[in-house]
Amino acid sequence: MSHLNLDEINELKDIMEDGFGELVEAFIADSEEKLSALHDALAQGNATRVGELGHSLKGASGNICAAALADIYKQIEHAGRDQNLDGVADMVSQAEAVFQEVRVELQAL
Amino acid sequence: MDTSVSASAEAPLKILIADDNQTDRMILSAIVKKMGHAVVTAEDGLVAVEQFKAEQPDIILLDVMMPNMNGQDAAVQIKQLAGEDMVPIIFLTSLQDAQDLAACLDSGGDDFLTKPYNKVILQAKINAFSRMRRMNSTLTKQRDVIRANNEHLMHEQEVAKAVYDNVAHSGCLDSPNLKYMLSPFSVFNGDVLLAARKPSGSMHLLLGDFTGHGLPAAIGAMPLAEIFYGMTAKGFNMADIIREINMKLKNVLPVGIFCCACMVNLSFRKQEIEVWMGGLPDYYLYRSKTGQLENVASSHLPLGVLSSHAFDATTQKFKLDLGDKFYMWSDGIIEARSPQGDLYGEPRLQSVFKNNQDPEQLFDEIVHDVNHFVGESGKDDDTTLLEVTMIDEANLGKAAIDLTSGAVNGPTDWRMAYSLRGDTLKTFNPLPVMLNILHDVPTLRSKSGELYTLMAELFSNALEHGVLGLSSELKKGPDGFARYYGERSKAMAAMTEGSVEFVFDHRPTEKGGSLLIRVTDSGKGFDYQKNIDNQFKSEGYSGRGIPLIRSICESIEYKGDGNIVEVVIKWQTDIS
Repeated sequence: MSHLNLDEINELKDIMEDGFGELVEAFIADSEEKLSALHDALAQGNATRVGELGHSLKGASGNICAAALADIYKQIEHAGRDQNLDGVADMVSQAEAVFQEVRVELQAL
Repeated sequence: MDTSVSASAEAPLKILIADDNQTDRMILSAIVKKMGHAVVTAEDGLVAVEQFKAEQPDIILLDVMMPNMNGQDAAVQIKQLAGEDMVPIIFLTSLQDAQDLAACLDSGGDDFLTKPYNKVILQAKINAFSRMRRMNSTLTKQRDVIRANNEHLMHEQEVAKAVYDNVAHSGCLDSPNLKYMLSPFSVFNGDVLLAARKPSGSMHLLLGDFTGHGLPAAIGAMPLAEIFYGMTAKGFNMADIIREINMKLKNVLPVGIFCCACMVNLSFRKQEIEVWMGGLPDYYLYRSKTGQLENVASSHLPLGVLSSHAFDATTQKFKLDLGDKFYMWSDGIIEARSPQGDLYGEPRLQSVFKNNQDPEQLFDEIVHDVNHFVGESGKDDDTTLLEVTMIDEANLGKAAIDLTSGAVNGPTDWRMAYSLRGDTLKTFNPLPVMLNILHDVPTLRSKSGELYTLMAELFSNALEHGVLGLSSELKKGPDGFARYYGERSKAMAAMTEGSVEFVFDHRPTEKGGSLLIRVTDSGKGFDYQKNIDNQFKSEGYSGRGIPLIRSICESIEYKGDGNIVEVVIKWQTDIS
């Protein structure tokens, strides 16, 4: 099952032209960094930070046309903003898993 | 789906993209660069403000939520820095709620762009804001041009006023028998008030009300004042002066601009006032003995309307007792309006006179009543008022004659000779060109008709009786004229070497000037001694028009063989 909307990916390739590869690299690096920070925030119980990071990762995932991934981050964002971190750990694990799949797909383009 | 990129139709812009997400910055940059614009980036609000200062972008794409300083605070600072310049800010937001989006605009943003970014919409918005920015810039430039022009005009008016004040100086408006009200800005409302003493001690006054306002109205006031002061100082009579002013204004003013005016000659010696009025409302003559008011109405058109031929300098004369007063005003008094829009009108003015107890207070009472009527809206810069009182000349002080005003009396000491010979004598009429030279002497100009008649008579005598040798006897009898002119044609055709010479010699005299005209023809002359006894016989038209010439000239004398005639015309400035 593809996590990427191929029509949107093609549009994105059209916009980025030669820069598409760079964009993918940037997304991957950014996601890894923020996922790590997300773990930390969760461990510290910093709900506000969790919300901010969720928001940011949501935006980035949406940009790269991975809508399902973006949705998971959205839930994490809302939980953080609601100051309720129950069940967020699970969401984060799920996000990580999907991220890995997305990464593979992107690098295969 | 159309995936082509619309390149920007306008000149390339510099666009600042401020977003804390790298992928956002990269994608937006790619879209904007494809439009042909340059990109500058920032990853938080603080950097966005710094970049704005450093790079002066044309348009800003600003993320709302950023660390260090969020988008809204950055927007406030950037707008402040931009000042008058329009720098459009488009907020980038994933917010969906209408309240939130409106809050973005309230904080200073000009528009917002929601995620996911639609390339087509972003490009359209950039183009639209680019147009708006250019329009704002054009308006600002035009406003600056208008502002500069306005300052320039104001300055020009100040200069004009300064020049005007030098020319139309107040003369003797501070004389004890005068009271006046005149706005310091009268130069711009077209009102002129002049007063000056003549060498004889009489006083000339002139109130002028030019049509229009502003500089066009002021322009005519300057030659008018120059002529008034110059000719008054040299003792010219008011008819000559008003005629001269009319001619000048007729020449100088454009069609539709003229000057309603009243000129006055106040003779203390004769206890008399002489008035010329054109185009003004009725003035009042106040009789101190009875307290009655007499109306004095305009009997002429305004100055600058009629040509010199049609102009009439006829004046009205009134005997005055000591204490009698003459009131002059521009139409600003009668037409003054109250804050409700009512006209002041003549009835109100007349009631001020009727209710007056002490004539010496009349002027102040009029001024007070008009100002009270006009109220706070006080457009009193349009009202000009002058009260002239007949007093004993002893109380007036000596006349300080100002002789510094221009050379308006023309040339007074000159000689000119003009001859016509042979064929030219047959075909050319020299009278207009010679008359033109005589016109340089202002008082001679007023005798223009007489001079033309005189010179025509002298010329025709010289040509027909002198050069062509025709006898005026030929004109006698029923067929006389036909026969005469038949002979004249024959003689003209046969003539080859005749000549007529005019010599004009003008000299100044104590009170004016003297013009000698000598006409010499190449003919055989005639026995003038015999005719002198018959001079006063005017047999129809058969004489040499001597009686006519005598009525115009002081003297007439024949010389040589009778082919030279000399006439003398004397003129003098008024002694009244």
